[in-house]
Amino acid sequence: MAVVMTLVQMKLAILRHAVKGPQGSTMSSAGVLGVLIAGGTVYLAFLDGDWLPAAYAVWMLGWIIGPVFSGGGDESLRPEFFSAIGLRPYRLAAGLLTAAFIGVAPVVSLLALAGLVVAGTREGVVGVVVAVPAMVLQLAVFVLLSRVAVALLGVALGSRVGAIGAGVINGVILAILGQGWVFAVALGQGGQIPEFVRYLPSGWGLLAVEGNLLALVAMAVLIVLLLGAWAALLTRRTGADRPSTRGRRPMRAATARQAVIAKELRTWTRDLVRTHQMAFALTYGVCFAAAPLALGIPDMLPLAGPIFIAMAASLSANTYGTDGTAHWLTLLTPGASDVRGRQLAWLAAVGPVAVLLTVAFTLVTGGPWPLVLSATPALLGGGAGLVLLVSVYGLVPGIDPRNRGGNPLRTSEDEGSLTGMAYLMLLLVACSAAPAVTVAAMFGWWGVPVGVATGVLCYWGFGLLAERRLTARGAELLQVMRTGRRPGSITGKSSFAMPKMSKPREFIVMVCITLGAIPLIPQGVVAMTMLSDGQLGHTWFLATHMPPALRWPTAIVMVLLGLGMYTTGFLLWRQAKKQAAGARAEAREEPQEAAP
Amino acid sequence: MTAALEINGLVKAYGEKVAVDRVTLTVPQGSFYGLVGQNGAGKTTTLSMAVGLLRPDAGTARIFGADVWSDPATAKQLVGVLPDGMAMPERLTGREVLTYLGLLRGLKKEVVTERATELLSVLELEGAEKTLVIEYSTGMRKKIGLATALLHAPRLLVLDEPFEAVDPVSAATIKGILRGFVEGGGSIVLSSHVMALVEQLCDHVGVIDKGRVAAAGTLEDVRGAATLEDRFVELVGSGSTAAKGLSWL
Repeated sequence: MAVVMTLVQMKLAILRHAVKGPQGSTMSSAGVLGVLIAGGTVYLAFLDGDWLPAAYAVWMLGWIIGPVFSGGGDESLRPEFFSAIGLRPYRLAAGLLTAAFIGVAPVVSLLALAGLVVAGTREGVVGVVVAVPAMVLQLAVFVLLSRVAVALLGVALGSRVGAIGAGVINGVILAILGQGWVFAVALGQGGQIPEFVRYLPSGWGLLAVEGNLLALVAMAVLIVLLLGAWAALLTRRTGADRPSTRGRRPMRAATARQAVIAKELRTWTRDLVRTHQMAFALTYGVCFAAAPLALGIPDMLPLAGPIFIAMAASLSANTYGTDGTAHWLTLLTPGASDVRGRQLAWLAAVGPVAVLLTVAFTLVTGGPWPLVLSATPALLGGGAGLVLLVSVYGLVPGIDPRNRGGNPLRTSEDEGSLTGMAYLMLLLVACSAAPAVTVAAMFGWWGVPVGVATGVLCYWGFGLLAERRLTARGAELLQVMRTGRRPGSITGKSSFAMPKMSKPREFIVMVCITLGAIPLIPQGVVAMTMLSDGQLGHTWFLATHMPPALRWPTAIVMVLLGLGMYTTGFLLWRQAKKQAAGARAEAREEPQEAAP
Repeated sequence: MTAALEINGLVKAYGEKVAVDRVTLTVPQGSFYGLVGQNGAGKTTTLSMAVGLLRPDAGTARIFGADVWSDPATAKQLVGVLPDGMAMPERLTGREVLTYLGLLRGLKKEVVTERATELLSVLELEGAEKTLVIEYSTGMRKKIGLATALLHAPRLLVLDEPFEAVDPVSAATIKGILRGFVEGGGSIVLSSHVMALVEQLCDHVGVIDKGRVAAAGTLEDVRGAATLEDRFVELVGSGSTAAKGLSWL
């Protein structure tokens, strides 16, 4: 019990500091959003049909997948911290588990699980009484599943096969979630939630409340099993060690630029995190585009390549940050073309696969060739330019590779900024293809030269900007990586972090930035490509359901709406940022004025 | 004769804390210069600014007369640097790191291959031909770092704690290489808090305390009749630390 209490106290202390510190605003906005979603989930409990178990299934998936994309989840208490104390794995796991219940996400999930109480009221007093332990057990199942998934991934990333496998699985799951409508239509047959959802572990709490008390026992057994698995995985993690004895291909580079390319490509293939990211991007692209095949719709297949490019760019956006303080070598060799080398290496890693994917899948559907051949070069050039530009201008300080410890997914302490960067990158890369896609949609083959031109321009121009910035501010970038702090900023947060602003305003910014992509990309750009291709009545693409006169206007309005949302979000954010900077400057000047 | 390294009035402040306060040092050509000071005295910050890895708030640094910030290409060609605790291209083997850096420095491929082979053999790293740098021990990291600093035949070496965590056998090898470098006309600045080592190797010493130069000059001038360690404690220490004990032991 002493171990549990100590860990709980540590976690509480960390949370207390976090709320006061720069993460406070991020935490509170995440909390507000979480409470809203939890409220929505409880509301589902009042409805007929299987909406509640379906919602809990989504919560469970969120617990399992969420940490994978936010750098391994909550790592404020790491098992490595306690390896020298000599605790038994089971006691350590129990302590860490208890501490894991303290935080924003578990509290919000518990709120959502209050839906069980609502469901219980229908069954009478017994139902309500059963709902309380069911809530707690269900939450324990969520938290443990999350921990075991992260631990498993950590083990998987210890080997190449594991890294690729984990990337493939994550890609498949996320693509299925993104294309949920396909499976809703295919499995549901008219708005019904499929039966099996009730019997997933996420639905056991509800089964118990509805009178099947065996489900409570099942949850308890599952918890014990998961705790055992987690304890076993923890010992593996703290004792992790992996020597490499593979044969190495000799470096054939003969110039500085070739040397940078050779170094980068070796890092792409040898760093299992990068291998994992590539496998993920590829699988996501393929599965997302292929999912509608389940309904006999092949039209999305040509999108596999473009989606892969955008995903790959988004995941590799922090290229300088990921390498950490190795940047000092670049600083000491001025004139060596580091940026261009990295751009070429990125193209070499992503390009061939993307082109192959695009051509092969478009051959299957037999078109639309002009659109696909315009988008691909535009995206490749845009990605190669933007990855470097964003990485240099928005650097999120990373953890030096050798200090990442037992969680290879954790490449930075500032995972919020990393996630923001990934989303921004997705958007920017999509925008870089917008001119080519628009021209292709309107004038067919003319889009191809436009795509090639914008691609080359992005590659050249953004690369040049990145190189200039690197030459001018290289020492400052190194300092950011060394200390994790930006010079001159008191909070030490990246430029992607949320500045302080009023709650309603923060909410608007969050909504604009998280949801702006929906009108812009699927309802706008994708719908336009469908219209130009004459595909009508397409599931959730609103414009394709409109009467002829309103089709194009609808899609255009959607694009404008999306752009408007992003602009609004960005302007509000920048305004708050300026205010915050002004307040800081004032705070710094005051003591000086007081001096004689 | 121009100095190998001339540091003039370097200042670096982090918020309220002044890490380096108007440090001025001259490293003559052909000298073996030891920079000593307590942890946190400002040695690493000074050296980082001197070689262009950290932008100073004020002051200049010149390497053989070339300003590190206004003429970086010339200055950085003349210097080899071993920073403390910085990452390398971690997913390369030792030989690949040297090949990569040599080409980055503009050396010919054949020259790089020849020098890399020699460096790996002298530093006893050729056994780790297939090991990635990320799997190196701390001592091996120091050695590969030293190899990268020596690769392009610089005339000045700036080494931050080159002997930390290096085993005695490797340390002897490194000492041999460094002595040979100075005998061949090269100049070296190294930082350390091991006084015996500095006394054994260096002919010039600079003592840094709380961001300022407490003493600088030839080894004889600085230490006088005492040992360097006694002189250092006299310059820097609060005096009575040796007498303090731990109450429970």
